[in-house]
Amino acid sequence: MEQLLKLLSEICPGIDFEKETALIDDGLLESLDIVTIVGEIMDEFDVELNVDDLLPENFNSAQAIMDLINSRRS
Amino acid sequence: MSFTSGTFIVFVLTALVVYYLVPQRFRWVVLLLASYGFYFTGGAGAMGYLLFITLTTYLAGRVLGALNEKRKGLPATDKAGLERVKRRKKQVVLVTLLGNFGLLYAVKYLGVTFDLLGLPRPGLVLVLPLGLSFYMFQSVGYVIDCYRGKFPPEKNLAKFALFVSFFPQVVQGPISRFGDLAPQLTKGNEFDADQVKYGTQLAMWGYFKKLVISDRAGVVAATVFGGFTQYRGTVLFAGVLFYCIQLYCDFSGGIDITRGVAQMFGIDVAENFCRPLFAVSLTDYWRRWHITLGQWMRDYVFYPMSLSRPLTQLGKWTRRHIKGKLGKIVPTSIATFTVYFLIGIWHGAELRYILFGFWNGILITASLLLEGKFQYWRKRLHIRTESLLWRLFQMIRTSALVFLGRYLTRADSVRTALWMIKMTVLDPEIAALWDGRMLALGLNGWELMIVFLGMAVLLTAECYQEFGGHVRKALEQRHWLVQWAAIFIPLAVIFVLGVMGGDYIAPGFIYQQY
Repeated sequence: MEQLLKLLSEICPGIDFEKETALIDDGLLESLDIVTIVGEIMDEFDVELNVDDLLPENFNSAQAIMDLINSRRS
Repeated sequence: MSFTSGTFIVFVLTALVVYYLVPQRFRWVVLLLASYGFYFTGGAGAMGYLLFITLTTYLAGRVLGALNEKRKGLPATDKAGLERVKRRKKQVVLVTLLGNFGLLYAVKYLGVTFDLLGLPRPGLVLVLPLGLSFYMFQSVGYVIDCYRGKFPPEKNLAKFALFVSFFPQVVQGPISRFGDLAPQLTKGNEFDADQVKYGTQLAMWGYFKKLVISDRAGVVAATVFGGFTQYRGTVLFAGVLFYCIQLYCDFSGGIDITRGVAQMFGIDVAENFCRPLFAVSLTDYWRRWHITLGQWMRDYVFYPMSLSRPLTQLGKWTRRHIKGKLGKIVPTSIATFTVYFLIGIWHGAELRYILFGFWNGILITASLLLEGKFQYWRKRLHIRTESLLWRLFQMIRTSALVFLGRYLTRADSVRTALWMIKMTVLDPEIAALWDGRMLALGLNGWELMIVFLGMAVLLTAECYQEFGGHVRKALEQRHWLVQWAAIFIPLAVIFVLGVMGGDYIAPGFIYQQY
């Protein structure tokens, strides 16, 4: 999780990823951010994500993103 | 049948009465008949396009639904079977997209292609039916969603036909999503006086924008752009400014009428505008202007492209070999440029529209690349980014960039647009503001005053909304006399000041030709 939080903070500084739970619903993350985050995640965590994973509920919080990564690892 | 015609008002009233009179389970049939009747008045020939798109996307949805079911039934170990189904699904989507966009291409761009190749245009000219690209994009979005397995496909062809043709939005959008719109269309809404009242108020707001402001502003824009060589700086600037006012009030006014009429039937149609004048950056502007087209491009072009294998591979390579921000944004920038190229060419197959797309793509990519530098300078200059003054600066900067782009979309060629920009800057001739030249652009002093007062009302309302206010809900809290006045005073304003009456026919909406 720490690795993910570090990655997210580097891409989008100024957002409290530990607390925010509505990153998409509140418009904190834009489409450009999401694509960058997905690209970095695929590199860092060596998982395959695709366009079907780009649902708001998968990106609304750091925990949701972590769950998505874990579901792709298993 | 134009939204601004008396026939349309009678048509909507009749449809409303019939809709709420028939039993709830048949109400969607009333909407379908009304929608086909409405579209038929635009020309019988146009029905062919509507039917073609409806049938092809309906069938594609059904086939994709069956393939999704088949895929679910296969064991995870049957890799070959799963792969076969996936390949088949891709083929179905590909054929549907080719068929639909091929039709759009033939209608919209074939003539230009012949021109570019230096060949004479063919004798048979296909007429562009009203709103073709709007309902096509909506239907194609549905097919891609079926491919992604977002929902089971609609089995009832007539219900699907209503989703494609729903009359308030068939000519100029918004581009709705099946999951949001279709259930509302078919469930048979109960009569709700509040919904009818809200809908009427919203539609009237749209008529106010279109008939009181836009059609007047359009007169000045047409005069200036029509005889641009006679004018210099300030007048050219005024021409573009009035064009911006015309375009915004025309398109957003039309959408307000659409959403208002739909609301009278208890249907909530997607927002397409969110006060673009208050945008703080170009990216923000595109989130507020023609929202549903932007979202369509994001979900069906930008995301799939950015995450496609070639672009993700390229991204990995550039991150390793190009240091800094540039290395990170190469794939998204390619997808961004593609999106703005498509938005540009969607407006028309001319160089000026393509340049308009690139103008947006370049600025958005540049702002990403320079973000670090901007942050540095903001700190050095001790700028308080949360201050109102900074917000105002951002709004003016964004509007100026959009304003420059508008020279391209309204001038008859890139050369004309560049000449006009040059003249605006190099030869301002500010005296035109007081020597009477402004009164020789098609509108007298009184008419100009109406445009300015109309804009003042519009901006006041938008300012109130931007800071969280809700005009119609706030009215609810007032005395009943105020509520009635809020309906009849604008109605009187539209009738007295609206550009209509006599032999005059209000011009059609700009975006319905797309």
